[in-house]
Amino acid sequence: MDWGLIADIFPLLMEATQLTLQLFAGGLVVSTLVGLLIALMRQSRFRPLRWFAAVYIWFFRAMPTLVIIFLAFFVVARDWLTFLSPLQAAILGLGAGAGAYKAEIIRSGILSVDPGQWEASEALGMTPAHRMRRIILPQAVRVMIPPYLSNTVLVLQATSLATAIGLVELTGLSRQLSNSTFKPIEVMLTAAVIYLVMSSAIVLAQMYLERRLVLKV
Amino acid sequence: MDFEFIIEEFPGIWEGVPVTIGLFAWSLLYGTLGGLVLALMRLSRFQPLRALSAGITWVGRGIPPLIILFITFFVFPELGLTLERFPTAVLGLSLWTAVYQGEVIRSGIIGVDQGQWEAAEALGMSGRHYMRRIILPQGFRIMIPPYFGNAMTLLKQTSIASIVTITEITLLAQRVISFKFVSLEPLLTIAFIYLVLNTILQFAQMGFERTFRLRV
Repeated sequence: MDWGLIADIFPLLMEATQLTLQLFAGGLVVSTLVGLLIALMRQSRFRPLRWFAAVYIWFFRAMPTLVIIFLAFFVVARDWLTFLSPLQAAILGLGAGAGAYKAEIIRSGILSVDPGQWEASEALGMTPAHRMRRIILPQAVRVMIPPYLSNTVLVLQATSLATAIGLVELTGLSRQLSNSTFKPIEVMLTAAVIYLVMSSAIVLAQMYLERRLVLKV
Repeated sequence: MDFEFIIEEFPGIWEGVPVTIGLFAWSLLYGTLGGLVLALMRLSRFQPLRALSAGITWVGRGIPPLIILFITFFVFPELGLTLERFPTAVLGLSLWTAVYQGEVIRSGIIGVDQGQWEAAEALGMSGRHYMRRIILPQGFRIMIPPYFGNAMTLLKQTSIASIVTITEITLLAQRVISFKFVSLEPLLTIAFIYLVLNTILQFAQMGFERTFRLRV
């Protein structure tokens, strides 16, 4: 183990980690918005919307994330929305793919709320928006947290695929540094440790939130 | 959409299908064996084995599969393990999926009702006999859905082998993109192939679920 080399490359890898975190944060926001939208469409009274949501979930769950990122980069950003930067295209791809999973998580959270709660809030004369916000979502969130955060770890790991469209984030830089320093062991293990720390932080957050949100009766 | 172009380029991309299926099938096989080892280690009475299995699982789930592939491609040769490119990719994907299948197998085994273990013991069955006749048939039923869920994820993850230049369908599509300057058609072609393969897996899952269905 060449510790001197690790000390040299660590600041570089941390810089690339900032790009990884940008991809991660962007992917998280976009996938949550997409997930919420598709979940609500899936529950809609309007049949074409329900179908669209079902097809969206079916298609994006069967697609490799890498292919979705290619679609976002080579098709959407190159031919249609040409103002998108490669970073934005990668975020769009990550968000569109993970959004299909998040839609299912959000939907099953909403469905898990006891039907009596819907009926009771209706009987109390609440408007649908009010009912969703004050009665259903607070209870649904508790069910959603574990799968939502597992999905979040997957989004973090999927950011590594942005290297395939030329973004030099943590994985891309570690590959370049492996080649230029001829010390792949040191470089790859350092990168692996950085990912491990980030993933473990999400898992700890998950454990903390699960404890906090346990129903106190 | 240029359908003529799709028909023209399809045979070229089609050549990658056996590679994609090969990556998937070998990695699933070795990943399942690895997962079985990890699960049995985790359930062992011997503390260091349990800790080792838990540690491997923690690391394997905490780093991206692409980093695991890079480790098998760039780090393992440094440590003296040099294989051909295809087996190296299979090794990386197997290590990655073993971690997830290990958890599935473990939860299948511990998911069998405790009373079943006790009843089998009370009937005087030998350890191997009750594992084979009582526990595993019930465990399989629990394992099938998450096992196939992981298998479908593995099928999709074979696409990352394109980044280490294994000529599976994603890489072939990428080549069409860079040589022919069209992107929608080749990507939709491989999207279609992934959808078909995925659907086949879904049918396989339904078949297994029927076979191991509870008959009362």
